Amino acid sequence: MNEPILRVRGLSKTYMQGKIPVHALRDVSFDVSKGEFLSIVGPSGSGKSTFLSMIGLLDKPTNGSVFIDGIEVTGATDSDAPRIRREKIGFVFQHFNLIPTLSALENVDLAMRFARVPKTRRKERAIELLNKMGLSDRINHKPSELSGGEQQRVAIARAMANKPAIILADEPTGEVDTKTRDMIVELLRGLSENGQTILIVTHDTAVSSRTKRVIRMLDGMIESDTKVEGY
Amino acid sequence: MFDIIFRNITQRKLRTGLTVFGIALGIFAVIVMGGMSEHFNQTFDKSISLTADKIRVFPEIGFGGGNLNDSKAREVKRVAGVADAYGVLQAALDPESLGFFGGDAVIGVEPEKFPSLLKDTKLEEGRFLAFGDGYRTVLGSSVAREFNLKAGDEIQIKSKRVQRTSSITHARNFTVVGVMEYTGSFFDNGVLIPLNIAQKFYDRGDTVSFILAVPDPNVDAEDLSKRIELNVEKIKTFSPEQLRKQIEQSLIVFTLITISAAVLAAIIGGLSVMNTMLMSVSERTKEFGLMKALGAQTQDILYMTMGEAAIMGVMGGICGIIGGGALVYYLNDFLASKGTVLFTVTPRLLVISIVFSTLLGVLSGLYPAYRAAKMSPMEALRYE
Repeated sequence: MNEPILRVRGLSKTYMQGKIPVHALRDVSFDVSKGEFLSIVGPSGSGKSTFLSMIGLLDKPTNGSVFIDGIEVTGATDSDAPRIRREKIGFVFQHFNLIPTLSALENVDLAMRFARVPKTRRKERAIELLNKMGLSDRINHKPSELSGGEQQRVAIARAMANKPAIILADEPTGEVDTKTRDMIVELLRGLSENGQTILIVTHDTAVSSRTKRVIRMLDGMIESDTKVEGY
Repeated sequence: MFDIIFRNITQRKLRTGLTVFGIALGIFAVIVMGGMSEHFNQTFDKSISLTADKIRVFPEIGFGGGNLNDSKAREVKRVAGVADAYGVLQAALDPESLGFFGGDAVIGVEPEKFPSLLKDTKLEEGRFLAFGDGYRTVLGSSVAREFNLKAGDEIQIKSKRVQRTSSITHARNFTVVGVMEYTGSFFDNGVLIPLNIAQKFYDRGDTVSFILAVPDPNVDAEDLSKRIELNVEKIKTFSPEQLRKQIEQSLIVFTLITISAAVLAAIIGGLSVMNTMLMSVSERTKEFGLMKALGAQTQDILYMTMGEAAIMGVMGGICGIIGGGALVYYLNDFLASKGTVLFTVTPRLLVISIVFSTLLGVLSGLYPAYRAAKMSPMEALRYE
């Protein structure tokens, strides 16, 4: 068994809805090994997106700890969080979230700018990643000139730009057709086989069934944690 | 990061254009009003520097209220430390149409004193006045341009004399014997004539408007000014320093009024930048959230948004300077034909304008930038 790249211990999140406490996450604990391709599934309101936000340092838990690459990130200050995000985490969103005024190349380049990667190195890496995503002829196209599948591939390239420890994908196939969905899942699976740890939040069983491990959440708790047969 | 800033600005051309126009209008006002203020400051400076070595002696009652007899000049000259003293008679060239800013003035001085009065001022053409010259004159460059006169031409000078309850205007042609070079001082609007002719023409007997006292070399003008006051009765002196202070005080008020109006216009331009940036930040909430999720630091977002505001400020500044400079150039050209110049765009004014517009952009962008930088990435990403 590999050393866990992600360790979650007793993670809880309680929101206040007026005066009523809403327990979005309750004492969630599990480990993820390097190179694992894992999906988190569950109905709406089960806490899976909240959970992703905690790992991605987009929100702070009420209790518990998250360790990425052996470093506890839950206690990171506001000034440390951006560094941890760009060094350890890559995000892929349901709505792609590409910057509309920038080309595919510039969108990938942007993530590396914040990491202060030199310009020439950024360009090389962005071209390399877009080639890997099969977008070598689309690098200078703006998001509006790309299909949904192409946009999501640009977003995956962007997520990988700073060689993160883990990629967090929130419904990455939610906005694409089934053919594109299959292609994106295969792409992510291929990356995982090359050692990239990927955690997907999805509603789609067709996606989760193709991941190595499925964590099912219900009412803010882990209901089941299963390895997928025949993976 | 500059390329992204520039792209964001050019992406919304109409909005950027209108914002830049707002700043440009403000800086336009700074250039025009500031140019006027600079011109007056420079004119006073140059005028004073031409006569900075002399002490002015006025009648005790006031600048124009009393009469100063020409014989007082001899009394002043007798004071120890005074190298020379001579009377000057000053009157409006045309008392019936005084210009808003004073207009052209006739200056009567004994011909042999002109080199002392005008210091190193040279002639563009012709000669200076000489002893024995009658109704002859040397013109300042602006007067010559206004009336399109050259040496050998004639200029009409008018004098208004009050007789009982009515006033009679006399007019007389004077022959132009010389035209002075441009000095940037009040002398450019001067019509120099011999003192005795001026006294006769204006029916002033042997009185003068004021006396100029030239101190001996190495004599302190301030001390000498006080000594003259003590030794000569019924006069009041103004040392070069006193005169400078008095003029500066009146100029400060003028400068404050003009600059305040201009700054107000520029601040309104600054508000348009703030409005644009607030809209832009609001529209790009999700974009900033994404950038934060990608690892952007607070200062990255601040730099980006404030950079946009600063560039719009600089662009507005440049447009304002070009627009204001063009207006000032054409107005000066037009006014020169009327014998006056109103604006001087100095390097100092240009630097102030560009620094001010940049600062205005940066300050106006400060609050929107702070809002963008402080957004929670989570909330920003959820923003629709």
